[in-house]
Amino acid sequence: MPVAWATLRRTWTMTSRAYPWSYAVGCLLSGILTIGLSYLALHAIGGGTVAADFTARTGGADYLGYIAIGAGAFMFTVRLLLWSSKALITEQRQGTLGALLVAPAGRLPYLLGFTGFALANTVVEVGLLGGFAALLGITLPACHPLAALAGILALAFAVFAVSVVLGALMIVAGEAHISQNTVFLAVSLLCGITFPNSYLPAPARWLAETLPVTSAMDVLRGALSHGAGPAELAPRLLTCLALGAGYLLLGLLVLPGAERRAIERSY
Amino acid sequence: MSGHPRHPGGLPRPEHLPRTEALLLPLADRLLPLRPVEPGRPGGPGPHRPPRRPRPLRSAAHQVRAELRHAGKVFAAEALKQHRTMFGQPLVVASMLIWPLLQLAATYYTLHPIAAGSAAAARWPLAADPAKLLGFLATGALAWAFFFSLVQSAWNFSYERTTGTLELLFLSPAGRLVLMLANGAGALLQNAWLLTCFLGAAAFGFGSLQVAGCWTYPVVLLALLLPAMAWGALLNSLMVFSRDSTFVYTVLDDPMWFVGGVRLPVFALPGLLRVFGAALPLTGSLAVVRGALLERQDLAELAPALARLAVLCVLLLAGAVLALRLGEARAQRTGGLRLV
Repeated sequence: MPVAWATLRRTWTMTSRAYPWSYAVGCLLSGILTIGLSYLALHAIGGGTVAADFTARTGGADYLGYIAIGAGAFMFTVRLLLWSSKALITEQRQGTLGALLVAPAGRLPYLLGFTGFALANTVVEVGLLGGFAALLGITLPACHPLAALAGILALAFAVFAVSVVLGALMIVAGEAHISQNTVFLAVSLLCGITFPNSYLPAPARWLAETLPVTSAMDVLRGALSHGAGPAELAPRLLTCLALGAGYLLLGLLVLPGAERRAIERSY
Repeated sequence: MSGHPRHPGGLPRPEHLPRTEALLLPLADRLLPLRPVEPGRPGGPGPHRPPRRPRPLRSAAHQVRAELRHAGKVFAAEALKQHRTMFGQPLVVASMLIWPLLQLAATYYTLHPIAAGSAAAARWPLAADPAKLLGFLATGALAWAFFFSLVQSAWNFSYERTTGTLELLFLSPAGRLVLMLANGAGALLQNAWLLTCFLGAAAFGFGSLQVAGCWTYPVVLLALLLPAMAWGALLNSLMVFSRDSTFVYTVLDDPMWFVGGVRLPVFALPGLLRVFGAALPLTGSLAVVRGALLERQDLAELAPALARLAVLCVLLLAGAVLALRLGEARAQRTGGLRLV
């Protein structure tokens, strides 16, 4: 725990002195514009109506609410994944990865501390996006706060687990830009972020099931727009947690090898 | 090392010195700043030269040809440089092909519930036919990929500033504006393969293209490429003289597709955003491309949009020239690479 706490404090200090504005503004803008796009499309083109098959698939005609929940969850996923998976490659770029590896601190507490900070940061940023949605008059008529909290925590855990694997990939490949953007775009297409993923062909849906974001989205939508309780959502919640545990295990298995490769590559 | 080294008084003779110093002394001697009043010595004014004869006046056509030859050389060199640094990188394939395709699919499915709604076809005729909606979004994605690749190349161009090669570029005899244009054109040449693939796939595969005639394809090409080049020149000129290029990159990423009508028809945007969009060449390019490829417009119908686009191109180039002039004048005055 002291390692996690120290990492959190270090990251907090660094970020409060040099906040990565352009990244944060870019992610926030992208969320705002997604909601803005659907708002304009609904009112200027659709005349406030959506197709019947959308209503049938999602169990509600609230198109804007659907997009807003998706955009918020997507921004949460992206920001958390950016922070946590880029922790190791940032150390590598700054030339401190070697020092981190010989330090007597465990890697898991280090990553947990980093993610703890990122979580606090991300919640504030997603709050801003929620504020924008509220300005447009988007409301959540039926919301089950306890189930929603469970969904958010499950999503955070799953994203942390995925970021361990992605972080290992990044330090082996020595680049972050391509891998991170490809993952983000795949998530936005597959995981039911701005449209129900039953529109997609079957193989894409199977692929989506291997990403924990898909099941977390089901939980969040159930809790936020249908008012479903934890008991109802338990199967999807457990799916998300199980997938997260699987990714975490995989990440911890490949991380030592990845670190060895990264050090060998740089000398 | 030629001639007899001079030994100013007060210094030990070379044979009493260690060998390296004996070697370096004459050199150091030659580099000593001498009083500029002694003629015939290094650092002095040198022998008197007769004034140069004025050059004979060349014909205007000859000058234009020389200018063009110069521009061609700069274009070729810059394109080759970019080809060697950028082409074949995984990043180019990802950002020009894979990401736009994923994004296109996600956008299509996001707008599908609206377009398939009962009220949409009356307001937007394209929406009734899924193939046409896909064509609309695909042309948008293509044009956006092009204009954004120039934003990316300008972002790369700003590395010239950080790595210290910008001074070399400015010291070289290459024309500044030609250099900025060449950098953008190089990026476009790199991405010509994408355009070829798209137009090929669209012409034979979509089945939703409504083209008035074969002449539309070159018009579409020019309407995409020329504004994109002007846009790239302006961006490069701004990036060279801006300290934080990341922020410019952020501002031009998502907002550009939003106000440019990439994923929505322009009529759906509120008035203020339409004004912003009109200032972007992407918007005008898209109007021409979509009109020519999806709505079977002929040259007479396209003329107003083409005229607007031409005016905008001239304005963009003028902006680039102005930015270069201002920035360079300031750099000469203060030594700082900033615009204001």
